[in-house]
Amino acid sequence: MLSNLNDPASSYIKTVNDQKPLIEFINIVKTFKTEAGIFPALRGVNLSIDRGEFVSIMGKSGSGKSTLINMLTGIDRPSQGEIYVAGTPVHQLSESEIAKWRGANLGVVFQFFQLLPTLTLIENIRLPMDFCDIFPRSERTDRAMALLELVGLAREANKTPARLSGGQQQRAAIARALANDPPIIATDEPTGNLDSATASQVIELFEGLVAQGKTIIMVTHDSELAQRASRKISIADGQIV
Amino acid sequence: MRFFPLELKTRWVKVLKDIWGNKKRSLLVVLSIAVGVAAVGMINTAKQVVERDLYGDFWAGNPASLTIYTSPFQKELAEAVQNLREVETAEARRTVAADIFRSEDHWEDIQLTVLPNFNAPKIDRFVLEEGSANPGGREILLERDTAHSMGLSVGDTVIIKMPDGRTYSLKIAGIVHNVYVIPFSLLNEATGFIRMETLQWMGEKPYYNQIALVVSENKYDRKHVLKVGETIRDRVIEPAGYQTYRIQIPGIGSDPGQHWAHNQIAGFLLILQIMGIMAIVLSGGLIINTVSAIVTQQIRQIGVLRAIGGVRSQLVTMYLVNVLLLSILALFIALPLGQLGALGIARLAASFLNFNLKLFTIPLDVLLLQVGLGLLMPLLAALYPILGGTRISVYEAIYQQGLHSEEKERLVDRLLYKLRNISPPILLSLRNTFRKKTRLAFTLVTLTLAGAMFISVFSTRASLTEQINQISRYVAFDAAIGLSGGVQRPTAIREALRIPGVSVAEGWANSSGVIVHYDGSESKALDIVGLPYNAQTIEPLMLKGRWLRSGDSQAVVVNDDLLETEKELDVGSQIQLKVGDSKRAFTIVGIASKHLSGPRVYMTLEDFGRLTGRQNQVDSIRVKISPSATSSARIQSELAAELEKRFDNAGLSKQKATTQSAIFADFSQPFNIILIVLIIMASILSVVGGLGLTGVMGLNVLERTREIGVLRAIGATNTSVVKVVVVEGIVVGLISWVLGAIVSVPSGWVLAWAVVEAVLQAQVNYRYSGWGLLLWLVLILLIGVFSSLAPARDAARLTVREVLEYE
Amino acid sequence: MTVHKAINEIGLIETAAPSQGESSGKRMIDLRGVYKSYHAPAGPFLALRNIHLAIQPGEFIAVFGKSGAGKSTLVNILSGIDQADSGEIILNGTPIHTLNEDQRSRWRGKNMGIVFQFFQLLPSLNLIENITMAMDLTDSFPLRERKQRALQLLEQVGIAEHALKPPSKISGGQQQRVAIARALASDPPILVADEPTGNLDTKTRDGILEIFSTLAENGKTILVVTHDKEIAACASRIVHLKDGEIVAGQA
Repeated sequence: MLSNLNDPASSYIKTVNDQKPLIEFINIVKTFKTEAGIFPALRGVNLSIDRGEFVSIMGKSGSGKSTLINMLTGIDRPSQGEIYVAGTPVHQLSESEIAKWRGANLGVVFQFFQLLPTLTLIENIRLPMDFCDIFPRSERTDRAMALLELVGLAREANKTPARLSGGQQQRAAIARALANDPPIIATDEPTGNLDSATASQVIELFEGLVAQGKTIIMVTHDSELAQRASRKISIADGQIV
Repeated sequence: MRFFPLELKTRWVKVLKDIWGNKKRSLLVVLSIAVGVAAVGMINTAKQVVERDLYGDFWAGNPASLTIYTSPFQKELAEAVQNLREVETAEARRTVAADIFRSEDHWEDIQLTVLPNFNAPKIDRFVLEEGSANPGGREILLERDTAHSMGLSVGDTVIIKMPDGRTYSLKIAGIVHNVYVIPFSLLNEATGFIRMETLQWMGEKPYYNQIALVVSENKYDRKHVLKVGETIRDRVIEPAGYQTYRIQIPGIGSDPGQHWAHNQIAGFLLILQIMGIMAIVLSGGLIINTVSAIVTQQIRQIGVLRAIGGVRSQLVTMYLVNVLLLSILALFIALPLGQLGALGIARLAASFLNFNLKLFTIPLDVLLLQVGLGLLMPLLAALYPILGGTRISVYEAIYQQGLHSEEKERLVDRLLYKLRNISPPILLSLRNTFRKKTRLAFTLVTLTLAGAMFISVFSTRASLTEQINQISRYVAFDAAIGLSGGVQRPTAIREALRIPGVSVAEGWANSSGVIVHYDGSESKALDIVGLPYNAQTIEPLMLKGRWLRSGDSQAVVVNDDLLETEKELDVGSQIQLKVGDSKRAFTIVGIASKHLSGPRVYMTLEDFGRLTGRQNQVDSIRVKISPSATSSARIQSELAAELEKRFDNAGLSKQKATTQSAIFADFSQPFNIILIVLIIMASILSVVGGLGLTGVMGLNVLERTREIGVLRAIGATNTSVVKVVVVEGIVVGLISWVLGAIVSVPSGWVLAWAVVEAVLQAQVNYRYSGWGLLLWLVLILLIGVFSSLAPARDAARLTVREVLEYE
Repeated sequence: MTVHKAINEIGLIETAAPSQGESSGKRMIDLRGVYKSYHAPAGPFLALRNIHLAIQPGEFIAVFGKSGAGKSTLVNILSGIDQADSGEIILNGTPIHTLNEDQRSRWRGKNMGIVFQFFQLLPSLNLIENITMAMDLTDSFPLRERKQRALQLLEQVGIAEHALKPPSKISGGQQQRVAIARALASDPPILVADEPTGNLDTKTRDGILEIFSTLAENGKTILVVTHDKEIAACASRIVHLKDGEIVAGQA
């Protein structure tokens, strides 16, 4: 199913040397300045992730795990160090370049789903395609529909998010993250607002995507869910342990 | 903290700090209130000042209730009139139309008035400003507006040209202020006063031709005053062997004892008053929107305040006090601003209408009105969003997370969800527009009002142009010249056709007469015009019946103005016209549209000759270069000069020629001033509307911060984010444009009606302005783009982390 | 300074101690058969099922559970911020499930201090004013004494030197201390905190926990919601929630 969705139009994204890791964090330091002083959130993180890995990042509140994933998505920038994703030096891109780069290379799934309330599911999924202009206009609606089928929500395509349960919204959010067929999915506590059965379904969906070759980085504080990843990383007080 | 005394409760500290911390928004509220309150103060103060000073001057000089124009008489007749019980005072007058030298080949009209006794004028008394109020022989008093406009002062010599062409030098003995005449700068007619001896020296016979009088009772009752006029005619003037030409109430359609521009001033003040009310309504709308912005932004704080023990009434009071403090600040701006504006309007009016501004005192009642309005209106307007904002439960207020659609789904939402084939970013803008429906409604009301007002002003202009075009049908000549005392028609026409280029020359004859009713009563005086049946300098717009045609006998065309007083007349009616002692019966064959000439009757020159006994004589010559169209203003004035020269040389006329464009210039000037004021008001309204839209777009962006962050997280660039916001602004603008277009149809009619009624005392020929509609479309699109651009830029500047950090 | 501190200690103990003394065996918090469901588009979602919970004065309770277990709902119901579908909530003798929103606000202001995960200090006010605001709204303590008391509370949580700064100028941990001081402003017998250390680093967290322990020793009834086992370990009792039900520590 998903292989159908891997459109040749986006294949340039993956023109990287397979020998090198897909994601490389080199000595990442992030400090936050507050009036009360400097607070170090990440203190020298080195990390490489290969294509097709399902990585869980565990840690307590305040350990720096959300900051770490924000470095990857370009939502936040490192104070020091370098980040390469598929060869792109993310730490050097401007805010506007990052938005474009992220749209094409990274699907982000949030804890609170963050679907746009005024758009229907299919429109929510078309939106990133319209922003990034990778898939031809004529194919977008079909592709959005195919993605909804993938997450089992084809029948709800014309409903607004408010009419769906949390689990359904999160599945739609995952379909949206796949809109531009990015090689990487980054997600921060994707099951934080779901009950355990629904959470399990969402993780199954991730496992399916990994089987198709996607790389997934998931932040969680739930050790049971973290067990299901192919690699577990623990972080405490801004360092990988 | 040191600024606040120890005893101040913390809730008031918060109110003060919120005001100070949100300076931009506090200022927006203050200005919103101040604009409306200042407008009301300005208009009402100006009204009081004009009424006090203009009408005060006016009443102080004993204004005439009535003027009776008669055949030449000696001043004893006026004394006889004064002896009537119905008459309080009567005074004889003589007026002569002449020219006054302005510059080489430029003479201005002047009306010379002779008073019987300059030592004790009784009616329409003027006030001496400079020199002497009692002119000696070969001396003249000039009205001050005449003197100032022409740069003349006491001791200067002026040259007067009498209708027979001879010139006389008169010394200016004094400059007087006379509020009873239309000022020179408005009418282009100078006003001067001379003694009878001086007039005699200037070759005129010493007689009077007018009686100005004040009735003893019911001074402001038009009917009564006119009846007194008829009594005077029947019991004094005609028994004494004199003829009564006209009985007229002074002014431009004013009631007796009222200033000549009373109706115009009242109409204009009414329009301003309506604008003031609109400004207050818009102020209220702006306050509602801005206060809901404040409340929405602080919704979490409201939740926290309630969580730590605050009850709703405490919160409502806090926000109301916030608004009250801003209102008080607004008053500090609005009160002086209103007075300043009033002073400006009063000064403008004083120079325009030639009256004196007395000591400028601030009217207490207007101040009270402003204070009341300035304090109450904002509180009432703010109550709505404050009650709404504090009604929300503590839980909702604190734990709003994720993206919500806030309101119930309505018809418009269902329609919007039917739109499928539009790209999602545009859909997002469209649906966002309708998300906060109450807020959208207030914004739309503001912008719609501004738009309707704007288009209405243009429609008024279009209607006035239409009015002028209609009038132009009746003066379809390039130039015309009056012939003193009647001239043989062929002689006059031959002379006119000698001018190179002139292809049409027509002789018209004029007289004044009345309609004699079956019961023997007579109508008001009306113009009787004799003209060739195939006249080319008139293109009458026939409301009913037909125009004159070849072979017509005893047939007349009347204008619509006549029907206003003679309501029973219609096409086919028989009327008896009386000129001097001659009476003849006529049939009305057609009714022509109004053209600001007053009641008028058209007939062929042949009929005119039979009625007046003046066969083949004409009183004016109207010429045209092209038979089918009128020429440019420049060519017209050259032609007029040529006409004056030739007719003077030929000994046919020493009068000044007029042109069609000069006639228009005279009465479009007051219109232009009114239109400028209206356009300024409409622009203020659109600025207010734009401010409102900026506020609302800012608020929308603020509320959707998180959504904007999500957009950026899924690949939207700065441009995409800006586009989503700006398209929303444009959509709001377009909706308001459609609504404004609809509202402007009736509102434009009302405005055009009010302006035409105020200035011309005529029925409006309403024309909707398509150009106004288009211009407003362009403006509203600009407003839409510019008012959403700043919030859109703010939105684009947000980084994703800032947006999502509350997760 | 020491005088202030002394007054403060006395003030705290004096007002809290009687409720501890006279109500031993009595219940400060008593939840009976509480149900709460939320409307989700996919159907109602049962957040709390048949909760029975009794807490004595002076207890330091940790409500422990994963995300979605219903612990935040429990705190919101307990504090009257949200309303239960059914069941009785009797706090310090007051049946707050029978009160309306304004009455609950009033009651809360006098009887319960709340500490939020995100501090929720008022951004336009400085630290002292944030605390006096709570006293002002509930009209507790004479106007002239409020500032003094606010300063003492700030001293107790250890940030008196920042008293005149706005919340944006201090760190998260410091803001949370102010939030605790504010919760104590009207000297309520009960203190409720929802993930009070969720956004703080380990060292700061320990400081906050110490404050709670001291308060509990001084007789306040404290209820802290957390998913952090170490925090839970500091409490005198752990109430374990799972899928809307109490699975351990009920009584």
